[in-house]
Amino acid sequence: MSAIHLQNLVKKFGDFTALKTMDLAIADGEFMALLGPSGCGKSTTMNMIAGMEEPTSGKILFGEKDMAGVPMGRRGVGFVFQNYAIFTHMTVRQNLAYGPRMRGAPRAEIDRRVGAIAEMLQLTPLLERKADRLSVNILQRVAIGRSAIMEPAIFLLDEPLSNVDAAFRAVMRTELKQLQRQFKQTMVYVTHDQLEAMTMADRIAVMDHGVLQQVGTPLEVYNNPANVFVARFIGSPGMNLLKGKPAESDRGLVVDLGPLGVTPPLPDALAPAVRATRGDVFYGFRPEQVALSDRGLTMPVSFVERIGARTIVHLGDGESAVKAVFENDVGLAIGQTAIVAPAAPSVRVFDAATGQAIKAD
Amino acid sequence: MKTVQAKPALRDEGAKLGFRLTLPAQILVLFIAVFPLLMQLYISLTDWSPLSGTGWWNAWSMWNNFANYTDLAVDARFWSALKRTAIVMIVCVPIEFLLGLALATLFADEFPGKRIFYSILLMPMMVVPAVAGYMFFMLFQSGGPVNDLLSAISGMPVTIAWLSDPTLALIAVMVADIWQWTPLMFLILLAGLVGVPEDQIKAATLLGANPWQRFITIVLPKMKTIIIIALAIRVIENFKIFDTLYIMTGGGPGVATETISVYIYKLTTQDLIWGYVAAIALAILIVLSIAAVFAMKRMARAREVPA
Repeated sequence: MSAIHLQNLVKKFGDFTALKTMDLAIADGEFMALLGPSGCGKSTTMNMIAGMEEPTSGKILFGEKDMAGVPMGRRGVGFVFQNYAIFTHMTVRQNLAYGPRMRGAPRAEIDRRVGAIAEMLQLTPLLERKADRLSVNILQRVAIGRSAIMEPAIFLLDEPLSNVDAAFRAVMRTELKQLQRQFKQTMVYVTHDQLEAMTMADRIAVMDHGVLQQVGTPLEVYNNPANVFVARFIGSPGMNLLKGKPAESDRGLVVDLGPLGVTPPLPDALAPAVRATRGDVFYGFRPEQVALSDRGLTMPVSFVERIGARTIVHLGDGESAVKAVFENDVGLAIGQTAIVAPAAPSVRVFDAATGQAIKAD
Repeated sequence: MKTVQAKPALRDEGAKLGFRLTLPAQILVLFIAVFPLLMQLYISLTDWSPLSGTGWWNAWSMWNNFANYTDLAVDARFWSALKRTAIVMIVCVPIEFLLGLALATLFADEFPGKRIFYSILLMPMMVVPAVAGYMFFMLFQSGGPVNDLLSAISGMPVTIAWLSDPTLALIAVMVADIWQWTPLMFLILLAGLVGVPEDQIKAATLLGANPWQRFITIVLPKMKTIIIIALAIRVIENFKIFDTLYIMTGGGPGVATETISVYIYKLTTQDLIWGYVAAIALAILIVLSIAAVFAMKRMARAREVPA
C-alpha cells in the first residue's frame, strides 16, 4: 500500500514541454483517473511514475520514499499497457509466473502464487492456453494478474479500454472496478474517455496542455468545474458557455449577453463575487439542466439530435451556440424558436479573461 | 436440378481456363527445373562425357549399372570434401549468427553515427564474391597486410604463409566467408529484432527481468522464425561455398580447402567425367532438399504461433 506524491513535476522532450508542472497527491488505496485530451501530458505523468521516463525536474514520492534513480523494475509498480503487452509466445500460466520466475522464486512458491491469482481472476481453466488467442477481457485479466502477482503497492493502467469496442467497455469497466476493490491497491488510470473516469475513479485529475486543471471527485468536477476548459471537457455534451457582461437589473445581477438579451438573475450567493469581476464573464450551465419556459433565452433551433429517448436540441450558432438535453421528445423542430431557462442552482460563472470559475463567497 | 448439373461442368471450365493460363509458366518450369533434373538423372547412370564423341541423348549406350553411385560411396576425395564443407559450415554459420545477432542488438538502439556504420557494415555483402576472394588472397599473402598487422601487434616480424598451410588456408577461407556474409545475417536478424514488440519488453522490465533475462525469455522466442530462416539461408548458401574460396586457394594447397563445389568444378572442367559429376550433384541435391524441407517444417510450425 502506498500513497503517491508528485511535487513540481516537469518533463521536457527537447524544446517540447510535455508537462509544465504537476503537483498531485494520490492517497493510499485511491483510484485516481488522469483525464485529458491526447497530448495533455497524462501518459507522460504515468510513465514517470512507472520509471519509464525520468522527470526533467521535480520529485516523485511513494509514501516517504523518493523514487529518483530507482529503476522501473524495482519500483514495485504494476503496469497494465494499452494493448496489455501479454507475452504471446507463452501460456497464461507462464505469463502469470513471469515476475516471480525472473526474481528466482522457488518453483513450489511460484505454483502456489499462480494458483491463487488464477483462482481470484477466474483464470484457472485457461492456465495452459497459449496467450495469443484469448479474448480481450481475458487478456485484461491476465495483464492485471501478471502484475498483481508481484503484489505491487501501486497499479498503473494506461488506457486499457481504448482498444475495446463500446459495448464491451461497460463490462470491462465493471470488472476493473471490482478488481480494484479486491486488490485494494492505489490505482492510477490514464484515459481520455470521461465516462471511464467518471464511473470508476474516486477522484479525477483533469489535465490539458501539460497543466493540471482540476482535481476532485467525479461529481465535484462535473458540478463545479474549476475553469472553462474543465467545464467544456467534462460532460457530454459539455457545459454551455455564453460570453457577456455583468449588469444590474431590478431583479438582481444578470449577465448581458448582447443580442441574446439578458440572463435570468444570478443566484444571490454568486452575485457579490461576479460584481467584483472586471470585464467579461462566461455564463455557464449544463445542457441537462435547461427547461423550456416562457421567460429566458430566446433562440432559434438549428438542429435536433435524437439519441434513443434523449433529445439534444442545438440552439443558435457560432459563439452563442447552446445545447439543451431533454429526457423526452419536446416537439421542437429546426427553424422554430425556443425559450430556454437554465435551472438557477446549476448556473456557473467564469471570468472570461482568466477562464477561472468565479466562486460564491 | 439444372443448376446442380451445371456445377461440375462449370468447375471443369474453370480448371481448364486455369490450366491454359498457367501453361506458359508450366512450360518454363518444365524447361528450367524438371528437364535438367531428368537429364542429370539420366546422365548420372552412364559413363557419358563430352569427349565420348556422341550427344548426351545417346548416353544409354554407355549405361554402367549404377557404377557412378557405387564409386561415389567409396570416393575418399568426395567424402573428405564433404567433411571439409561441413567443417566450414559448422564454424562459419554459428560465428556469422552470433556476430550478426550481437551487431543487430547493438543497432536496435540509437547511437551517434549509426547510419554511417550501418552502411559500412552492409558493404561486404555488396562486394562481388570473386573480388572479395582476390582481396583476401592479397591480404593473406606472406608479405601481406594480415602479417604486417600481426607483426605490429607482436613486435616481431611475422611471415606466415597462410594460403600454403593446409590448416591456415582453411581458416583464411572461413575468415573471408564470415567477413562477407555476417552482414546478411545482421540484416535479417535486425529486421527480426525491431519486430519484437517494445511494450512486451517494457512489461518484462517492469516485472523485474534484467536485460539478459529479457533477451532469453522475450526477444529470442519472438525471433525464432526469423532465426530459423536466417540459419537456413546461410546453411544452404554456405554449403555451396565456391567463388571466394576458389580464387583464394583454388581448393589447395593440395586438396586442403577442397569443398564439394570445388571438387565438382574440378571434375567437370578438368576430369570431364560428367556422368560421375551428375551423380554427385544429384546426391547433394537430395541431401540439401531434405535439410530444406526440415527447416521449412520448423518454420511452418513456428508460424502457427504468430508473435
